[in-house]
Amino acid sequence: MGSGRGLLTSYIRDKWYIYASGITFTIAANLFQSYYPKVLGNFTDELQKGGLTKETVLDASLALLLIGLAYGILGGIGQFHIMYVGRTFEKFTRQRLFGHFTKLGEQFYSKNGVGKLLSYVMNDVTTVRESIAMGVNQTANATMLIFSAIAVMLLSAIPWYLILICISPLLFIPWIVVRIGPTIRSRSKDVQESLGAMTESAEEQFGGIRVTKKFAVEDIMNLRFGRTVDRIKDNQLRLVRISSYFQALIPFLGALSLVVTLAFGGYMALSGRLSLGNFVALTLYVRMMVNPLQAIGNVINTIQRSRASLERLNDLLAKQPEIVEKELAADVDWQNAVLTVNDLSFTYPDSPKEALQHISLRLEPGKTLGIVGRTGSGKTTLVKLLLRVYDPPAGAVEIDGRVVSDISLESLRAGIAYVPQDGFLFSTTIRDNIAFYRRTADLALVEKAAHEAQIHESIMGFPDGFDTKLGERGVTLSGGQRQRTALARGMMMEAPILILDDSVSAVDAVTETVIIDTIRRVREDKTTIIIAHRISALKHADEIIVLDEGRIVQRGTHETLLAQEGIYAMLHAIQEEGSSVG
Amino acid sequence: MAKTVDYNASNKVAYKGLMSYAKPHTKTFLAVFGCIIVAITADLLQPYLVKVAIDDHLMKGDKSASTLLVIAGIYLLLSVCGFVFTYLQNNFLQNAGQSIVAAIRKQLFRHITRQSMSYFDRVPSGSLITHVSSDTETLNSFFSQVLLSVLRDGLTLVFIIALMFHLDVRLTLYCLILIPIIALIAISFRSYMRMTYQITRTNLSRLVAFVAENLSGMRIIQVFHQEKEQQRQFDDRNQTYFKSNMREIRTNVLFNRSFDMLGNLSVAFVTWLGGNAVLGHMIPFGVLFAFITYIRQFFQPINSITQQWNTLQSATVSMNRIWSIFETNPEVQDAKGAREVDASQVRGKIDFDRVKFAYSDGVPVIHHLDLHVKAGEMIGIVGTTGAGKSSLISLLCRFYDVQQGSVSIDGTDVRNIPQHTLHRLIGLVQQEPYLYSGSIIDNVRLFDETISRERVMKACRMVGADTLVMRMKDGYDTVLSERGSGLSAGERQLISFARIIVFQPKILILDEATANLDSHSEQLIQRALAVVSEGRTTLVIAHRLSTIMNADRIIVMRQGEIVEEGTHRQLLALGGYYEELYRHSQGEHEEHEELELDELEDFDDDEPSTANASAGGIAAAASPGGGCSSRR
Repeated sequence: MGSGRGLLTSYIRDKWYIYASGITFTIAANLFQSYYPKVLGNFTDELQKGGLTKETVLDASLALLLIGLAYGILGGIGQFHIMYVGRTFEKFTRQRLFGHFTKLGEQFYSKNGVGKLLSYVMNDVTTVRESIAMGVNQTANATMLIFSAIAVMLLSAIPWYLILICISPLLFIPWIVVRIGPTIRSRSKDVQESLGAMTESAEEQFGGIRVTKKFAVEDIMNLRFGRTVDRIKDNQLRLVRISSYFQALIPFLGALSLVVTLAFGGYMALSGRLSLGNFVALTLYVRMMVNPLQAIGNVINTIQRSRASLERLNDLLAKQPEIVEKELAADVDWQNAVLTVNDLSFTYPDSPKEALQHISLRLEPGKTLGIVGRTGSGKTTLVKLLLRVYDPPAGAVEIDGRVVSDISLESLRAGIAYVPQDGFLFSTTIRDNIAFYRRTADLALVEKAAHEAQIHESIMGFPDGFDTKLGERGVTLSGGQRQRTALARGMMMEAPILILDDSVSAVDAVTETVIIDTIRRVREDKTTIIIAHRISALKHADEIIVLDEGRIVQRGTHETLLAQEGIYAMLHAIQEEGSSVG
Repeated sequence: MAKTVDYNASNKVAYKGLMSYAKPHTKTFLAVFGCIIVAITADLLQPYLVKVAIDDHLMKGDKSASTLLVIAGIYLLLSVCGFVFTYLQNNFLQNAGQSIVAAIRKQLFRHITRQSMSYFDRVPSGSLITHVSSDTETLNSFFSQVLLSVLRDGLTLVFIIALMFHLDVRLTLYCLILIPIIALIAISFRSYMRMTYQITRTNLSRLVAFVAENLSGMRIIQVFHQEKEQQRQFDDRNQTYFKSNMREIRTNVLFNRSFDMLGNLSVAFVTWLGGNAVLGHMIPFGVLFAFITYIRQFFQPINSITQQWNTLQSATVSMNRIWSIFETNPEVQDAKGAREVDASQVRGKIDFDRVKFAYSDGVPVIHHLDLHVKAGEMIGIVGTTGAGKSSLISLLCRFYDVQQGSVSIDGTDVRNIPQHTLHRLIGLVQQEPYLYSGSIIDNVRLFDETISRERVMKACRMVGADTLVMRMKDGYDTVLSERGSGLSAGERQLISFARIIVFQPKILILDEATANLDSHSEQLIQRALAVVSEGRTTLVIAHRLSTIMNADRIIVMRQGEIVEEGTHRQLLALGGYYEELYRHSQGEHEEHEELELDELEDFDDDEPSTANASAGGIAAAASPGGGCSSRR
């Protein structure tokens, strides 16, 4: 709980001096500014008294000039300081968040989508930054201006009750801002949401344009899209109704104040209880106070919003990583390291069902293990436990006789190369993607891996070869190309253990054969685990296990498994005989 | 230079187009204009009233309080007017603006969906989405910000200058010296500010993209133990963004402050000039007071108009993009003489006659192809990617037009059938079934409410999707989240099969429909396929031979030609490419693996054009008497 306010307080404690200087400059600027009506008021009085000379005119002009320059320069410096503090906060917080993200595990990511996490990094950080930069700046500005204005007015012998009566309509301004502000915000959020809904709808319709055209349902889709457009319009107009009311109301209150000043102040000036100069100054002060009062209302709103954001950020940063390296964790000697799985059972957190039950395996260096099974049979779960993406139960997974949780993460992950099914790649160059585990590796090594994964020729076909950029601003790869590039990334590590998680499913049968043969050749003395739907990809494995509902239901070599009745023989039959079965 | 002329010309077209959308709202715009004039007048007369109060009453020592009350009363009236008309003006303007934007959005969407498939193959859907959502949104800001500012601030400026002239000509002329100075500062700063702003936005979007990508690839980062390296790259981007941001802030603060100071400077200047004038009794003091108020107000509209410059520019760019889309016409058009075909009479005979076809890049994809499919026949098509299988389908659906030869259904050239009717005749099941966010019912009937629930349910029962749907929370009314991400590939495919049953096309095409399925799901699909293909001419494209082995006829395509044709058994006996493909899918290839390594590169699934005659091991002979009779 102590860390509840940690993020912001520790930051402010760090940067207080910049804050202090920023606020000092702002205060100084406002002190100057508050003298501006006073100068004009005195000028008027002199004029009325007939004491106006060329010198006094010049003095007044110079005084105004000085005030203008001082306010501009001092205020500018103060503003810049405070903005700087805000942006540095933004930078540090984002850096911390990213670092934190790299430590959080699979379980966290399965519950929190990318969109949600991005909104922490972008929206929440921005909201807090606004409140500590803009909020501080405006509060300092507004309070100083109001106080000094009132002080100067009192000093100039403008009666306090007159001041109070004249500014009384203005006092509603912060109240109105606080009342209407949240409504405006929630309505503008509605607008944003309906805009998002329209974008999503467009995305959906264009993505499915083939379906739309094929079934000739263009008219219906137009109607569907049209509805999202109408919703935006309705929400926009709802927003406009309240926001334009608000925008007109604030100047109106300012004008009301002036009406009062004109009537009451004017009356007092007529009856001689107020000098004409003071009357002029009063009208100017009233005008001057509209903006700061509105700012105070804004600040209250911003702070309310940012409190929620700050809480969210602190909660996020307080989340503990699921996978923690033990203090005494040591490196593995991968030379001759045997991988053993001892009676492993595993249940995902928040899941009632066991994903794996009583799995036992022993894998010597140089051997190949094949794993087959339906979707959801537990193949990928097993891999996640080997990689320690999830923590396996104590003692269940050992490498070289050492429990995985006692192995340093660096050593563990340097020893296992993993090739995912989806072929996830980053939007950098192909070279950086393949050499992902060591970005500085020689191009020759990268090319070798690309050859092994049968992707070299495709890469050379791109205009920039290995320096071709992937992603939005670069080349888009086909599913098969992506998988093979990801395979090259795994091969590149030449790791003691290689895991292929259904990694060649989008590659055609012929290329798949070549790839499997290459892997067998180059990884003769290393351990390989192949997960596949297609029997052809793993029939050469030294041992094949068949998983079903989290259990090993069959194990053996291709030949012994074929000889048995069971899932394996059935799968083989389906893949060989096609639809004639069933 | 020529480029700028083009640019201006397209600007003209775009603005003209926009005007045509604005036309129905002429009355509203006139009302807005009226409101603005009243509101501004009410606003600007206020300082004038104070001047009257000072000069005509207070200065003269007029002791009657009643005139003062009258002035205060008028002032109150003016401010109420200002309040009401400002409110009305905003609402009217937004009403018109929003209606225009909504109309453009709908029209744009309609126009885009009307385009041929070739358009969607060429233009990435991301940019289409940008046009429909962001470009139109920029247009919206044109109405809500630019137009309002130009009208309101422009008029305010004119009024202020007029009032100043009315008060004192000489003083006003002096003040007008300021205008070129202000304009100079504004223009020189603005272009620099726009640049810094754009750099900041670019850096921000890079930062966001980086974080988004790393979040979705976090597992890869952790498994490869690259946390530190990625953090370093993030810090780089973060720092770059921070720097550009500070630069932007510096520029903004500098600009705003100079503008402020200029305002204060001119007040000092006016005080000095005016003070001397008052001294020489050339003007009364009230005039000076009003002048000081106006000169301060003078800067606000100028500042906000220059702020609109950026928005105006991006609105212009967006407008051009939108209108350039409006100007593209669908490449495939219905022929003038196209006549409706009675769908119920169509039997489903397909003929490809001497077809030659190339995409817009000119490289021929289909060289010379003859294929005749009898009504009700089931044809399997195999071949590597780039062999022309999918192009064949695109031609049949008339997503593209042939260059030579013809494609006809029941003897009618597809070019003579209205596209709408043609598309209803043909059902297509793709590799990735596309689901919409909506209920199961709506996904099957594609939101067509004229199709009854009962028909949908019956279709689902027929393809065996019924048990799956009943397992879901709300049965047929279960709303699929994120396009059916909760369903397996096989389950999604079953739903797309049910669509076929509901829409009853005469011809069915399966384009790699089973490629992503595991063997278990594939069996389910096979069973559904048997139901769906009943009584329909069916074309099945497949990587996996198991899907097509039972077809009435299998054709093997290579480089845009049919190279082998026959039943499964005939093709195996032929010992050609098909037989080789079959052996590989069974994994029985060891005997000659070394020999084939190089040649097999040619089968690379992503390289259509590199394959050449070097593939010596592959039989190029076509089966002469391939046409085998249908079982049905």
